[in-house]
Amino acid sequence: MLVDDVVLATQGDAAAFERVYRAHMPRIFNLARRMAGPDAADELTQDVFVRAWQKLALFRGESSFATWLHRLAVNVIIERFRTLGTARERFLADSEAVLEVAHARRTKHLDLSMDLQVAIEQLPHGARTVFVLHDVEGYKHEEIGDILGVSAGTSKSQLHRARQTLRGLLRKEA
Amino acid sequence: MTEQRQFGESDHEPLAADDILSEAIGQWREEMPAADLWAGVATRLEPRTAPRRTQVSFTLPQLAMAASLLIAVASGLTWLAARQPSSAVEAQPTVVAQSESTGEVEGGIVNANFADAQFNAAVTDLEQILHDERDRLDPRTVLVIERNLKTIDLAIQEARMALNDDPANAYLNSHLADARRRKLDLLRHATTLASAGGN
Repeated sequence: MLVDDVVLATQGDAAAFERVYRAHMPRIFNLARRMAGPDAADELTQDVFVRAWQKLALFRGESSFATWLHRLAVNVIIERFRTLGTARERFLADSEAVLEVAHARRTKHLDLSMDLQVAIEQLPHGARTVFVLHDVEGYKHEEIGDILGVSAGTSKSQLHRARQTLRGLLRKEA
Repeated sequence: MTEQRQFGESDHEPLAADDILSEAIGQWREEMPAADLWAGVATRLEPRTAPRRTQVSFTLPQLAMAASLLIAVASGLTWLAARQPSSAVEAQPTVVAQSESTGEVEGGIVNANFADAQFNAAVTDLEQILHDERDRLDPRTVLVIERNLKTIDLAIQEARMALNDDPANAYLNSHLADARRRKLDLLRHATTLASAGGN
């Protein structure tokens, strides 16, 4: 049972932790793919589980393990964005300029799923993060603000711009 | 860039069902990695050792002094009790009879109760369930559970022995209470696992 595997993993049982990994990996991998793109998803997924192993002792069971792991994954991915050269204060500010460029790149695609994957990769990290967390993962603006260290209003503004840009990219040309 | 909002849109509300983005998100397929990523995780896992127990040791003179003190205190209490009417004695609060299960803290000291009937009954029940259901568990899981139970039992035993000489020691009381809680937690998890058929 997964709950018990978490307990055993907390006590240092690597076999139990592998079972935890197998159960949660698909969701974490897809979160990483959506937030950071397919090229970075493998490495980020591994980073998340290594971090989870290191931090397991801090999991107190106040939330479900899946929720705890998801939040940890979001933090790991955002840290990666920042270490890639997107300074914290520029994390969202840059989005404004890049969104303008992205909006101009309309391309024709065959299905919406592929479209969204391609379109979202044209968004800057900040706008992509807000869009994925809010519209795909169901986070609230207040939670996104806490995670990114910005106000809820900034998150709302970014979401608006991201949605508009994505709609423009997705809309098939006549 | 088009800044005009779509009719009825609110950026902090869920997308409308007929929004092209809703449709796109709905079709955004889950994917799996091209290769198994576990090996890359496993090689980076540092072995985690169990939390180190603080060794409590006493020198012979310390033990002798503690024993003398205990005898003196016990004698004094007995003498005091003998001088008071029986009803008054019964009304005296018992210093170390706090229930650890409630986590009560008095003066910064968590009092451990050596004969906590509730604790013993709970442990007995859970051990019986575990004994009856253990065949449903993976033998490797049973080994891990038994190894951890032995470790916890040893910690409980050591704490009790040390508390015999130093019953008011806050650290020892806390250590014993913690060890007993861990034993109950482990037994609860183990029996839940066994009841679920080890799945």
